[in-house]
Amino acid sequence: MKHNEYKKLLQLSLFGELNSREQTILKEHLLTCEECRNELEDQKNLLELISGKKESTVDDKVLSAARYQLRGALRSEQSNQNIFSSTIDTVSQIFTTPLKFAVASVAMLLIGIIIGSQFFNNNPSEEIVVQNGNENRFASLEESISISNLRFIDSDAGDGEVEFTFEASRPVHLKGKVNDPQVQSVLTYAMLNEQNPGSRFNSINAMDSFGNVAFDDDIKNALVTVVMTDNNSGVRREAIKLLNKSGYDELTKKAYLFVLLNDSSSAMRIEALNFLIDAAKNGHSLNPNDVNLVIQKTNNDNNDYIRIKSKTLLEEYN
Amino acid sequence: MQLNDTDLIIKAQKGDQNAFEELVYRYDRNVLSVTMRYAIHEDDAKDLYQEVFIRVYRGLKNFRFQSEFSTWLFRITTNVCLTYKSRSKHHLKVSLENHYQDDENEFNSKEELIYDGSSPEEISSGADLGEIVNSAVESLSPKQKMTFILKHYEGYKIREIAEMMNCKEGTIKKYLFDAVKNLRKKLSPVYV
Repeated sequence: MKHNEYKKLLQLSLFGELNSREQTILKEHLLTCEECRNELEDQKNLLELISGKKESTVDDKVLSAARYQLRGALRSEQSNQNIFSSTIDTVSQIFTTPLKFAVASVAMLLIGIIIGSQFFNNNPSEEIVVQNGNENRFASLEESISISNLRFIDSDAGDGEVEFTFEASRPVHLKGKVNDPQVQSVLTYAMLNEQNPGSRFNSINAMDSFGNVAFDDDIKNALVTVVMTDNNSGVRREAIKLLNKSGYDELTKKAYLFVLLNDSSSAMRIEALNFLIDAAKNGHSLNPNDVNLVIQKTNNDNNDYIRIKSKTLLEEYN
Repeated sequence: MQLNDTDLIIKAQKGDQNAFEELVYRYDRNVLSVTMRYAIHEDDAKDLYQEVFIRVYRGLKNFRFQSEFSTWLFRITTNVCLTYKSRSKHHLKVSLENHYQDDENEFNSKEELIYDGSSPEEISSGADLGEIVNSAVESLSPKQKMTFILKHYEGYKIREIAEMMNCKEGTIKKYLFDAVKNLRKKLSPVYV
């Protein structure tokens, strides 16, 4: 065996990767080779030095924060899947049945017609205008693949109506009652996915201003996701206010705790703390782990109000 | 009675969120440990952790039990780590040079990371030892660093790391030897 081969064995021995035969070979070589003995000593020192940093780096608080964030991201993932899964399933079913050749032929024909119409028709694409009572037009929304560029024409829902445009497969202009489930569905999608923070803000605000939101699971999950993950503090604050109107339960409690323990905005942390205090006054409870987390975190909060108010919270829960 | 991984996966594949959460909680400490070793910055590590489990969530319905769940999970973890770009570029400069690696018949990118701080003089002048070690590990190429973390800190066998990183055991040994060689070079002023 060449000398370099022994050096490799030597390294593998330090990582516990030698079988008994290889260990014996190495031991015998070390008896006669000073260079390898020095090499072994040298590498042991190196690994000992690095092992000084070997203790587990995962702190319970960091793990807990990572889990909270993951829950928020998974909720967002689930909302997206709920919106698109039926469309995708339908499309995938078509393409896995024996009809696929026929479907492909029709699709090619349609593509040809569309390309042809683009060449020979110079009229700009017509907007779909959807208004109350126009059920057929309204139904076409369900077939849209994506919604983007949501812009409000009237976001004041004081009269019970909102008006906005957005793009699905093509621009859509929608006017309808804010408490209509389909209008709420678009607004919910927009608060989660719109690029423009102003549009996300207005989507939440529009739902809030009418004061009669039917809080189903999708809306509530979307609000929790926005509260926990939106990068704009104004949007998060609007979302937490609306979330509070949905009533206090396990989900909202977790969202408030997450904000109190992790949000970088003191205004958000104060909102969350106040909501938790209100809930405590109404007889709701926190489990001991949550209480300990609140104590640990708020004691070090750089905001005086939070440090003082958190004592009120803990008194209420005790 | 506690369900095994297979039962949990089947339930999660049918849309049971609690089963998925249970599955996550079984392994997420180890995943976070790897991402924290790899990314150094806590926020980056949490982003990586999240990305891993989002990919697991998306891919679980197609999981066909052809490998252990843990192997599949850590294969995703290593992929996510190796393709990650830090939010803060801090002090590392990366030069990329593609080369063909004969022994693996695979096209690899050779990342040569140059740490532009901590000269031997600075090291010997009494800077914090932990930071020096971290910097030295950080200065390894992504594959060397991942191999070293999985082997030295997390204690996986070379065979397991090869499965996770989807390459041959010989390649993993080479990454490991190169990692040790580079660490020796970087750290020789503080341990000799």
